[in-house]
Amino acid sequence: MTITTTAAVAFEGVGKAFGPVRAVAGLSVTLHPGETVALLGPNGAGKSTTLDLLLGLRNPDAGRVELFGTTPRAAIAAGKVGAMLQSGGLMEGVKVRELVRLACDLHPRPYPVDQVLAAAGIAEIGDRLVEKLSGGQQQRVRFALATAGDSDLIVLDEPTTGMDVSARQAFWAAMRAQAAQGRTVLFATHYLEEADEVADRVLVLHRGRLLADGTAAEIKARAGARRIAFDLDGPVPEEVLCDLPELRHFEVSGRTVRMQSGDADATVHALYAAGLYPRGLEVSGLGLEQAFIAITTAEDEDK
Amino acid sequence: MKTLIKLEVLRSLRNKKYMFFSVIYPAGLYLLITAGGNDAIQGTGLDMAEYFMVSMAAFGALTAVLLTNSERIAKERDSGWVRQLRLTPLPGRGYVVAKIAAAATVTLPSIVLVLITGATVKGVRLDAWQWPAIGLATWVGSFVFAALGVAIGYLVTGDAVRPVAMVVYFTLAMLGGLWVPFTTFPDVLQTVADILPTHHYAALGQAIEAGGGPHAADIAVLAAWLIAFVALAAWLYRRDTRKA
Repeated sequence: MTITTTAAVAFEGVGKAFGPVRAVAGLSVTLHPGETVALLGPNGAGKSTTLDLLLGLRNPDAGRVELFGTTPRAAIAAGKVGAMLQSGGLMEGVKVRELVRLACDLHPRPYPVDQVLAAAGIAEIGDRLVEKLSGGQQQRVRFALATAGDSDLIVLDEPTTGMDVSARQAFWAAMRAQAAQGRTVLFATHYLEEADEVADRVLVLHRGRLLADGTAAEIKARAGARRIAFDLDGPVPEEVLCDLPELRHFEVSGRTVRMQSGDADATVHALYAAGLYPRGLEVSGLGLEQAFIAITTAEDEDK
Repeated sequence: MKTLIKLEVLRSLRNKKYMFFSVIYPAGLYLLITAGGNDAIQGTGLDMAEYFMVSMAAFGALTAVLLTNSERIAKERDSGWVRQLRLTPLPGRGYVVAKIAAAATVTLPSIVLVLITGATVKGVRLDAWQWPAIGLATWVGSFVFAALGVAIGYLVTGDAVRPVAMVVYFTLAMLGGLWVPFTTFPDVLQTVADILPTHHYAALGQAIEAGGGPHAADIAVLAAWLIAFVALAAWLYRRDTRKA
């Protein structure tokens, strides 16, 4: 017995090239209803193109993109999708409240304007002209436009760019509230800690291909490396460090040494065997950021 | 879509400089051009006050629909507002329809103001039916140029839109005989004017002024231009949508 639910987002062998540049190549991925998914990738990885394809702003050269079993445009027209783009401008010469009311009026299942303003944290700037707002405030207006109605999928491209720390925290609280209502949330970000904290699934995109797909913990484990840090009393003998087994990468600043190792036990053992006395030795797992760098650079070296 | 049209009108009304130029400027220019006297204009059966009342009403409408639409669309394509709107359930053409509707709303007061100036300051006397008929013909005819404005907005980027729109605008206004009676042109320019839509546009109102209905030939030329501009705008719109 199988239970089939329509995928929120389905990419099947999707490719898109701009002249000789392959922005997205053979991308196949399915997002299920209710997932909160982070899309990670270095600049030029194809994140924006992927979101453009997902939202029907561009057509793929190859493959198929479906949202809720239909075309992106049809899903958007049915009010199933709310989206904020980094490149999405705002109408000028109108007040925040007026613009949000427009988004509510356009949505087939709108929320009350005041509720949308409050949820986005912009109730008190409702009477300001849109073009007079700061970058972070404009981001929240975009978020309000994306959440003006009862949509099933919310797509956010670098949503917290231009926000300060407290605004960012408030934003993710609002975002979690959206996800808690059973919505599928897909966001692209370059703040890896956001992906680590918020997403229950992380997609790593690199050179237009899907490099990793799993929970943040899985991605970190997949990088397969651990972090070792210690201080040395005397001068740092770099030639000795170079010969340590399983070493992936190391850096020295003053007397502090930081390294990544494929087998931390073997590396540390060899450290002592070489006659060195590391002080304040720390061995820890990689953060998502280091894991991400490890995965993408490993891919580059394979090329 | 009604909300979008309302917002477009609202932001125009808020922009005082824009309202000044669009609504008051044609009437001001009318007074300036006709200040020199009120000679009859050969071949038209109209005097200067009558001839230029319609010319300037047409010119005002042309300004509002051509310059406003082209500039706003080009700038909003650059800023990404057009992309943002495409992520809403608004149908693709809704944006263009709202732009044209909003410009047409602003056009009407500018036309009416020129006609009022003609009646009160310049002493133009017409039958009661002729006033609304001229206003209506001038207003409806302006949609030809609204389509052209949309096409220019989708043709060029925000940086280039003003010079391009200005060249088109002055060519249409001057060679089309809105500022200088077209009958005083040398032969070559008369031929050019005869091809351009502007002269036929003003001729709609001037025919009504002379006591008849708009000439079928003028309507035919305008309709042909309207079809050409709409086709061009639609093609450029689709090109832009594919690129987004």
